[in-house]
Amino acid sequence: MQESNTSPTEGTPISEGEAIARLRQTEDMANRYYAAWWLGRMRSRHPEAVPLLCQALHRISSLEPETGPEQGHGRGHEKGVDAKAIAMNAARALGRMNAQASIPDLLDVLDADDYRLREVAAQALGDLKAAAAVPALTNRLASGTNGAGKPSSEGSPQLNEPCEAMLEALGEIGNSSAEIIAIITPFSNHERPLIKSAACRALLQLTEDNSWAMSIEKLLNHPQALVRRGALIDLGAVGWLPALKAINETQVENSLKLIALKGLAEHGRPSRMTPTHNIPVLEAMDALL
Amino acid sequence: MLKLNDAIAQLDQANSTEALIVATRQLASLTNLAAAPKLIEVLSFNNPAAALVAVDGLIALGQEVVPSILSNLDAHNYGARAWAIRVLADLGDVRGITALIDALLNDVGPSVRRTAARGLGDLRLKTETGDGQEPLNRCIQALLQARKDGEWVVRYAITTGLERQIQSGQLSSELKSEAYGVLEELASDQEDTNVVRQRAKLALQRLTAP
Repeated sequence: MQESNTSPTEGTPISEGEAIARLRQTEDMANRYYAAWWLGRMRSRHPEAVPLLCQALHRISSLEPETGPEQGHGRGHEKGVDAKAIAMNAARALGRMNAQASIPDLLDVLDADDYRLREVAAQALGDLKAAAAVPALTNRLASGTNGAGKPSSEGSPQLNEPCEAMLEALGEIGNSSAEIIAIITPFSNHERPLIKSAACRALLQLTEDNSWAMSIEKLLNHPQALVRRGALIDLGAVGWLPALKAINETQVENSLKLIALKGLAEHGRPSRMTPTHNIPVLEAMDALL
Repeated sequence: MLKLNDAIAQLDQANSTEALIVATRQLASLTNLAAAPKLIEVLSFNNPAAALVAVDGLIALGQEVVPSILSNLDAHNYGARAWAIRVLADLGDVRGITALIDALLNDVGPSVRRTAARGLGDLRLKTETGDGQEPLNRCIQALLQARKDGEWVVRYAITTGLERQIQSGQLSSELKSEAYGVLEELASDQEDTNVVRQRAKLALQRLTAP
């Protein structure tokens, strides 16, 4: 589920040059935050965009966990929450811009103590299909559902690792060695449906074995709308064409079904399917407009 | 008539989403044009489940319901307006054209613009008598104008709308070549969303098939 399009203060159109200038300055944090988002949204190709965004990733002092608003200190470091929010926007932007040059910097962020930073770094590395991230991701997940997949404290919504993002990244990167499959598989039985769905999604991408699709399809009937939506987005992201009927029949709003079907049309799998398999998908989309 | 009053009274007394849905369904099942104002009121309750039932009920009432919908459009309720556009898009009545064009070009909600584009594609205008040509012209111009919409799903809906209007065989040769031009643009590299290109290509294939 990577469809979180946070648009900070949408509505003020700026030029690319203005966005670069806003990210280069270090006085006004809101302007830096907006500029980082804008460059990603517009998929900027400006030569300074990637270096400036990478700098923003590192402007958090030693990537400490959140300790309060005064966490950042020392020259050149931005204050706590602001710096983190800017770094998060920068990571998302680098993923959207397919900035392969930023992979080493994102790998540093994947080692941050902060959960949310690790999460966005994993998402961006997945977007970049960064094979170099596989060892770090599998290391973090190797402790399994009772380690990485355990709530960080009793009753906490956060797990020890941002498993959903990390599993999805492994699926996107596409390295399907037996060792990686073995690390992902236990998460397909995780007690949380969204983690389960993310694991099945990755396994479906890596193995193209329909039984993983069936596990996700079961979640399309889940009583919670959030779970149904997550499973729907997962099937769409994989582009699993045999799921067309199940997606069409899910009880969610048409807008979301359209996004899932767009995924089917654009990344059609299994890979032996031909472009003509897309016509039923397009016809299903027409009926949802 | 008593039945209608009963159903309206029940709806007014509904104090839960479930009761509201049941009452709306009951009112809709009467398929009585006199129920339209109350069904339109349900669109403004900010309750999507009940609104969906009311939308279906209004559509079932057919084109006679269009004037009531139009006279209630100005309400400052965004949600209600969005639902009303959906009813107008489904009914395909030419009297809805101005509201649909306005929604396509100006609404802030992508799903409303998408529905409006679809509705404009489905609009069936009689041109034999000659007086359908002007609305047809406005309809196509709006679809052409909206082709730069920032949301892929709206551009997708425009490809389907243009395809259907070209298929109707009522476009003047000038409008037709403009419409083809936009489909070709949406099928080309100028369009950055893959599925929109796919849909525009499919439209062109179907339209040029012997």
